[in-house]
Amino acid sequence: MVRGVVVTGSRCRAWAGALLALLAGAAAIWSRSASAQLPVDPADVVEQLPGQRDPHWVWVDDAAFSAYPDGKAFLVDGDGGRMLGMLNTGFSFTAVVVPKAGAVIYAPETYFSRGVRGTRTDVVTIYDAVHLLPVGEVEIPPKRASTIPMSGDQALTDDDRFLLIYNFTPAQSVTVVDMHSRKFVGEIETAGCALVYPTGPRTFFSICGDGTLLVTTLTDAGDLASHTRTASFIDVLKDPLSEKGVRRGDTWLFASFEGVLHPLRATAAGVKAEPTWPLFTKEEQAQRWRTGGLQHLALHGVTGRLFAIVHQGGPETHKDLGDQVWVYDLGHRRRVQIISMRNKVGSIQVSQDYQPLLFACSMESNRLDIYDATSGKYLRTVDSLGQTPAVLVNP
Amino acid sequence: MADMRSSIDALVEQMARDLARRVSRRSFLGSVGAMLFSSAILPLLPVARGEEPAATRSDPALDPGDPHACEYWRHCAIDGFLCSCCGGSAHSCPPGTEQAAVTWVGTCHNPADGHDYIVSYNDCCGKDECGRCQCTRNEDDKPLYVPFKANDYNWCLGSKLGIAYHCTVARIVGVSR
Repeated sequence: MVRGVVVTGSRCRAWAGALLALLAGAAAIWSRSASAQLPVDPADVVEQLPGQRDPHWVWVDDAAFSAYPDGKAFLVDGDGGRMLGMLNTGFSFTAVVVPKAGAVIYAPETYFSRGVRGTRTDVVTIYDAVHLLPVGEVEIPPKRASTIPMSGDQALTDDDRFLLIYNFTPAQSVTVVDMHSRKFVGEIETAGCALVYPTGPRTFFSICGDGTLLVTTLTDAGDLASHTRTASFIDVLKDPLSEKGVRRGDTWLFASFEGVLHPLRATAAGVKAEPTWPLFTKEEQAQRWRTGGLQHLALHGVTGRLFAIVHQGGPETHKDLGDQVWVYDLGHRRRVQIISMRNKVGSIQVSQDYQPLLFACSMESNRLDIYDATSGKYLRTVDSLGQTPAVLVNP
Repeated sequence: MADMRSSIDALVEQMARDLARRVSRRSFLGSVGAMLFSSAILPLLPVARGEEPAATRSDPALDPGDPHACEYWRHCAIDGFLCSCCGGSAHSCPPGTEQAAVTWVGTCHNPADGHDYIVSYNDCCGKDECGRCQCTRNEDDKPLYVPFKANDYNWCLGSKLGIAYHCTVARIVGVSR
């Protein structure tokens, strides 16, 4: 007899009971899994967006610089870090234009009948903002400027009635499209002056090569009512304004290459150049701090905070990416915060709600970094958004 | 009409080149800029025509550096894909493309002979991006409202093949004196 293998009668009964219980449990699980299969998924389900836009959404406009006919616009939810949908927007795409009201999105687009050759057609495509489907288009002269994307390439007048599109052939002009009737209105010559910056329901200005502004006033039909030229207020050879401006109410803000902020205020008498102020102290300038990037300024309207991408690089680095965003209080004209970027950035945008997000990207990667715009805390990254995301647009 | 326009283009081109050879970069910009951009004669920009006879590569001792490299001295104000890496050269377009007639210019210092040269950055057009040897340098680059010094335009707008951008050459068109 060997010790250890002696099993008493009562222990044997206990083991048998346990085994029976185990078998019963397994049978129950098997029975449940056999009867509770996953339901069949319905076919033909296509998501749609809610009619109400969320202030924490952002349009990431992809110029697709390595595949120029293939521009795209990605809609991203900054809170969830989730891509919500996409538009195909054609050749040399710059950015979508989002009217304040109405569930539509506009995109000035260019197409060729054979990909990169053949007949060129320029259109303004109107997309349903809920289904992200084209619901209309307006053909425009095949002249829209093909540029590294700039927010001033196109804009709506303040009442959303007319869409203004900058042309360069290299003759300079602006195409006017009536978005109420969805018809091309006409073309206004802006010789020597570039881009469009709206200042009212019927007015906008362009920046001119001689350091002046050309202020255009439209009739109610969208035709040219008048042109006025301001006095020269910048030396375009010595320290030009970067054309990447932001707007707060009646005032457009532009930074010069050397970091001087130029407020341009729209008044009943025209556009006035207000007193300038430096974004950098003399010490910071000596340390070669400069603004730089493609969309290097952003503005939070309610708090009057200006966000600027900065780097240390000195003269002629006005397109260099930055590793910091400096935040300025426009009321006191002073810097109030420094936000270190997780990755180098060339474009920023700020949501316009009371818990704003700061969005950041560059054409050198295809990711969107998202920060708390108040604390500067990094929150999350959304990756693989096209090829060369360039311009960020609030919905 | 086409002949007349060609004649005008040729005349303006010659004038622009003569001017570029005579004057410094700053005065060149100031005077030509004021002339061109205060009026509606923009199609008559100082152009560097793509149809001119192609020159052979200069003596490397006089034209130092690698045309495939972004650091090559002629590339001081370039922004795009280098045609040298795409089947062309510093001055010639790859097969099947067309050199845009209108362009932006830079003034680059040749370290070998100490001269500043007017360099024309003609885009080569008609095909999608080459995608090789991307190079962005912004010496004296200006915003879009100073077009002939702005490298952010797609200058293929002046080509017959449409505005598809392929790559950019860096042609010497004169000495800046």
